[in-house]
Amino acid sequence: MTDVIQATKTGNTQLKNKISQISREFSYDETAYNLPISFALTGVAVHDKNSAADVFAKTGDNPLVASECLLAEATAATGKEPAPFTGFISDTVIRKLGYSLVDGSILGLALIVGTPESAGSAAAICRELQEKYMLTFLAGGVIPILSSAGVKLGLDYRLIPLGSKPIHSVHFVDIVARVAMMFGGVSPGDISRLLTYAAERAKAIVIVFPGLTDEEIALVDGMRVLGFPILTLSGYEGGEWTPATPDTIVRTGMDLKGIRVNVTAIPIPMGCSPAFEGKSIRKEEMQVEFGGGRSPAFELLRMKNPGEIEDGKVTVIGPEIDVMKEGGAYPLGIIIEVTGKSMKKDYEPVLERRIHNFVNYGEGSWHVAQRDLIWVRISKEAFAKGVKIEHLGKLLASKFRMDFPLLLDAVAVTLTTDAEKVLVGKREAESIYAERDARIKGMKDNDVDTYYSCTLCQTFAPNHVCIITPERPALCGAISWLDGKIAFEMSPSGANQPVEKGALLNAQNGEFEGVNKFVKKASHGEIERCSLYSVMEFPMTSCGCFEAIALMLPEVNGIMVVNREYKGMTPSGMTFSTLAGTIGGGAQSPGFAGISKNYILSDRFLQGEGGIERLVWMPSQLIEELKPRLVPLLMAKGHPDLFDKIADETTAATIEDLTDFLTRVGHPALAMKPLM
Amino acid sequence: MIPDPNFAWTGTVGEVVLGATRPDGGTRSRSYRIGGGTTLPFMEKEQKSPSPLIAFEICDDSRYWSPIVNDFCGDLIHDPGAWAKTAETTYGADLVRLCLTSTRQRDFSDIDSLGKITEKVLKSTTLPLIIEGSNEPKIDSEVFQKCGEVGQGERLLLGTAEAGRYRSIAAAALAYNHAIIAQSPIDINLAKQLNILLKEIGVSRDHIVIDPYTGALGYGFEYSFSAMERIRFSALKGDVDLAMPMICAPSDSLTIKEVREADAATRDAIAVEWEFTTSIAAAIAGAEIVCVRHPNTVKRLKAAFASLKGGV
Repeated sequence: MTDVIQATKTGNTQLKNKISQISREFSYDETAYNLPISFALTGVAVHDKNSAADVFAKTGDNPLVASECLLAEATAATGKEPAPFTGFISDTVIRKLGYSLVDGSILGLALIVGTPESAGSAAAICRELQEKYMLTFLAGGVIPILSSAGVKLGLDYRLIPLGSKPIHSVHFVDIVARVAMMFGGVSPGDISRLLTYAAERAKAIVIVFPGLTDEEIALVDGMRVLGFPILTLSGYEGGEWTPATPDTIVRTGMDLKGIRVNVTAIPIPMGCSPAFEGKSIRKEEMQVEFGGGRSPAFELLRMKNPGEIEDGKVTVIGPEIDVMKEGGAYPLGIIIEVTGKSMKKDYEPVLERRIHNFVNYGEGSWHVAQRDLIWVRISKEAFAKGVKIEHLGKLLASKFRMDFPLLLDAVAVTLTTDAEKVLVGKREAESIYAERDARIKGMKDNDVDTYYSCTLCQTFAPNHVCIITPERPALCGAISWLDGKIAFEMSPSGANQPVEKGALLNAQNGEFEGVNKFVKKASHGEIERCSLYSVMEFPMTSCGCFEAIALMLPEVNGIMVVNREYKGMTPSGMTFSTLAGTIGGGAQSPGFAGISKNYILSDRFLQGEGGIERLVWMPSQLIEELKPRLVPLLMAKGHPDLFDKIADETTAATIEDLTDFLTRVGHPALAMKPLM
Repeated sequence: MIPDPNFAWTGTVGEVVLGATRPDGGTRSRSYRIGGGTTLPFMEKEQKSPSPLIAFEICDDSRYWSPIVNDFCGDLIHDPGAWAKTAETTYGADLVRLCLTSTRQRDFSDIDSLGKITEKVLKSTTLPLIIEGSNEPKIDSEVFQKCGEVGQGERLLLGTAEAGRYRSIAAAALAYNHAIIAQSPIDINLAKQLNILLKEIGVSRDHIVIDPYTGALGYGFEYSFSAMERIRFSALKGDVDLAMPMICAPSDSLTIKEVREADAATRDAIAVEWEFTTSIAAAIAGAEIVCVRHPNTVKRLKAAFASLKGGV
């Protein structure tokens, strides 16, 4: 066992000595970047003893710089190693490599250095790297061992033999340095940008086999500064090197560096697109169904620790669809396990809601409701095309990875159709739902200090700013607080920015100092104040995408809501489209607000005006749509009879009808504080 | 009355350089700096931005080209080199846009031939070049690698990146320093999103030209016009993610019924009329480059642009 820390120390001293003994001049051909590592770090073109010593000192005795200079000198003395060794690789080839990296045809870079104890495990590691679209560079004893085991080497095989000695792994680093300068816009000498680029963009891992000298260990250990994980199977201990086993070393390295095999196509025998989302499967079109009160069913998404699950794995426990009777109802448990570095337990319920969308994306699969109330159907047509239960799992595993590429590292799906196991799983899931409910009953506005903005619509409503809070989704209904957060994590310069809410100015209306400040800036000075929970005073602006409009009806002292789908006349005397034309475009219109449908179900809805008791009218289709959630919500708020007091176009077509209706049913809004 | 063109814009349309001359490492006889507008097109008080450029489109497999153009151009259509040269010397185009239509063949795999054609066209004309690469996502990677490499140093404009399909072309732009066309389907939000995606992969703004997608006049061009107008308004209001020059290709004009079914005696005139009118509208909406396929459209457009710029 070699102690990495000790060896690095000794190695660095030896490198320092050797730097002072450089005697000849040296340079590389076919490059515009001189000695690329030294050039990238300092902007100095190293070619002799003095310039080498200068750069070495400037970089704080960096072992990468030392090794680069020493290797260049040695190469100048003895000439390039013969084929198959590539030695220093020309800029032209690097451009092609860089192209493949940007293009995505190579996912990342790996360096294997040292002398493996067995050819078998080294070959297996290389095969796995090839399968995972990694471009692998080799240096030292590993090359003859792979060759003798019959492993083909060369660019075509994505296995590049750099040189016979471990020090040739310097070329691995000079490639990364040149890619940073060619593709990353890093100017020579800009160390901080280079390091940021290497750490964030260069997807590189290092696998070390035994047999390295102290100097070579210092060189490899020096690569940590670039953010490359160093992994080892045996022979080394201590330091920051990650021990691993042959089976897991590639996956561990890729996980550590966040290199993911992208999912591009979903391997299932049915179409999968948001286009199919609205398509329902009627009873007579259905092959089998699950849940919906006809059989036990549930869905659950849980976070696991990294390494606990295998990405993309789909398991079906119990009978498959082909042994199920046509038209039958069967038990189903959907369990999704995910891991991700920035994944949090709080995200579980929100991600779990996506199961609904994703299953509906399937051309022949359909999903309604949530948790242990789900109802899933698979169509006869899909069954005829060969769709199985397993494919629902593949669809879910792939869609989660595709839609949350930066949040999730691995997704595994277990689908249970075994009746007894479903019942057991369901009981377990129910206790988890209860735990979640107890813990946060959905995320609340008061639980967070940061809201998110959305200015995506500024391209057509130049001064419009949405402020998205856990309890108030964007007015288009498409972006929740979590979506905003994830979008910001994925693209820090994008349309969703964090908004520190700052000091509370008006609790009832939801007015915050930080929000006002942000809105003023983001609206280019147009909007000074913004109340998150009020329709009457400084309401949020509206772009044009709102799912529904909430507006005051002074005649009845209440507020009505009309959704986009409703084409008819409303008691306000205006249709949705007339109203939309009036309030859109980024203007602040007191008395009117564009909202999402889900916001109606939020505790914050109409808080400024006294709460949901103000709600007097909605189109019947919207009432029907919200009914399953609205009834229990009103019950919980202590207004079990309010649901029936909300008028629609059948009970109140005009403002006069509405006044009569509300008086007849004794709607609470009539007795509330005057709106104006 | 000419309205006051002062709208108190705060933004400027970004500039993109196309084509490299010898001192810049290329072999083009000229290079263009497009964009730079500070107000709506043709409304500047001082002449700041140049007239829209006219790109003449040619292809390497005329089976996928308009029969009207094929008949008019004759044998040239079988020789992209000669065709490109004619576009420069006879038709009077500012740019040549080479569409690699051969990639549309089923299971196309002869990537080397694309490199040879590109090289030949580069040798035959000294105009800056637009190259419209692969039509098949599966071969994108190889096609753009090849075109990018062959055109290294020439500052090509490579097309066409789309939301789900931009990595290869972005890679070519980064590796070989070319500009790229970013196309979105007549949707300002998607245009902006694609520009942001490109920025995140590392393509800088001064290497992107927006293609808002051009419907044919009478067949949806009003949507294009409106999307372009909004893109330009956003740019001038300071949205840097939309402040790029635009390119329009009214090539759909040659496939519409009125042109396709025109009788032999008038069909060239009708084709030109349709291309010309769509192009003029596109230029007024803000296009910095318009692409046409009928040789007779080029001169008419030149004259029209000169007149618009000069106000004569």
